[in-house]
Amino acid sequence: MATVHLSKKAVTIPTTVRTLSSGVPVAPLVNLAARGSAGSGHGHGHGASGPRSDVPPRWAGGVSRTSSGLLSKTFAYPPVTGIHQKSLLHTSAVVRDAPQVPDFSKYEAKDPATNRGLAYLMIGSLGLLSASAAKSTVTEFLATMAASADVLAMAKVELDLASIPEGKNAIIKWRGKPVFIRHRTPDEIEEARNTDWKSLRDPESDEARTKKPEWLVMLGVCTHLGCVPIGEAGDYGGWFCPCHGSHYDISGRIRKGPAPLNLEVPQYDINEAEGKMTIG
Amino acid sequence: MSLASTFYNTLVKRNSVFVPAIFTGAFAFSIGFDLGITKLWDTWNKGKQWKDIRARYVEEQ
Repeated sequence: MATVHLSKKAVTIPTTVRTLSSGVPVAPLVNLAARGSAGSGHGHGHGASGPRSDVPPRWAGGVSRTSSGLLSKTFAYPPVTGIHQKSLLHTSAVVRDAPQVPDFSKYEAKDPATNRGLAYLMIGSLGLLSASAAKSTVTEFLATMAASADVLAMAKVELDLASIPEGKNAIIKWRGKPVFIRHRTPDEIEEARNTDWKSLRDPESDEARTKKPEWLVMLGVCTHLGCVPIGEAGDYGGWFCPCHGSHYDISGRIRKGPAPLNLEVPQYDINEAEGKMTIG
Repeated sequence: MSLASTFYNTLVKRNSVFVPAIFTGAFAFSIGFDLGITKLWDTWNKGKQWKDIRARYVEEQ
């Protein structure tokens, strides 16, 4: 073992290169504090760099270098651990993969496809219920922000259409604002419909602004600065705002003056059978 | 092919089918659940609700 072959070939010599005549191996250049190479362990995926973690503590003994060679001292005698092989009387034991594990084969699923189908059915059903519950939670929460039925009922105004003769204006109060209702004559309807509305400042057709051509319903608030326009006035036979001189035509569209938009049309319904109109 | 395999192969195999199927099912389920519970409520409270006794108080013109 301990013979050095002097040659130019690179060889890895064992740390113990010589044995004394007394039998003690001599290893003069062993560095007992050597660390592992930096990086990831020693090249096959485990072990951190740095000093070894399994070195016994100093009090338990250890290896030191003396002038006569390596000296190993042990002060503690740990019990021997390891695998105790039982000697059984059998000449040949039954070879099993894991002898302590009971046989579960009778509990296993008879058909893996059925098992899988059932599992995914349960997953899908739970997802279905969760999605339904989540949707209900969101919609019910949003519904709490909506106005309640009594508030909505208070916010509506109903009026009798028969009380407004043709060619007359009515002004009613709705949600704190005036609402203009005009029962238009056939001439006025024709005038409103024949206007070249595409060239207006706020292009909107008369058909889009009325549900029935004879009834024009608008908020009586000038879109300029919020004054209340005067009916049957102005250059276009409609409304005229006295504050800054905006002229609206017979469909409530801005034609002249500073206002940027047409008079706003609120939400309304006409019940022809009963001759009633509901605003709001 | 068994019922379970048919279910797996048609609905579950692709997530792009499975997830929309769950959402569609949730939509249908919520409608059906709502209808069913309303029906149960109406049956349970038969004769107590306004729509049941309205005819006794309101005369149609």
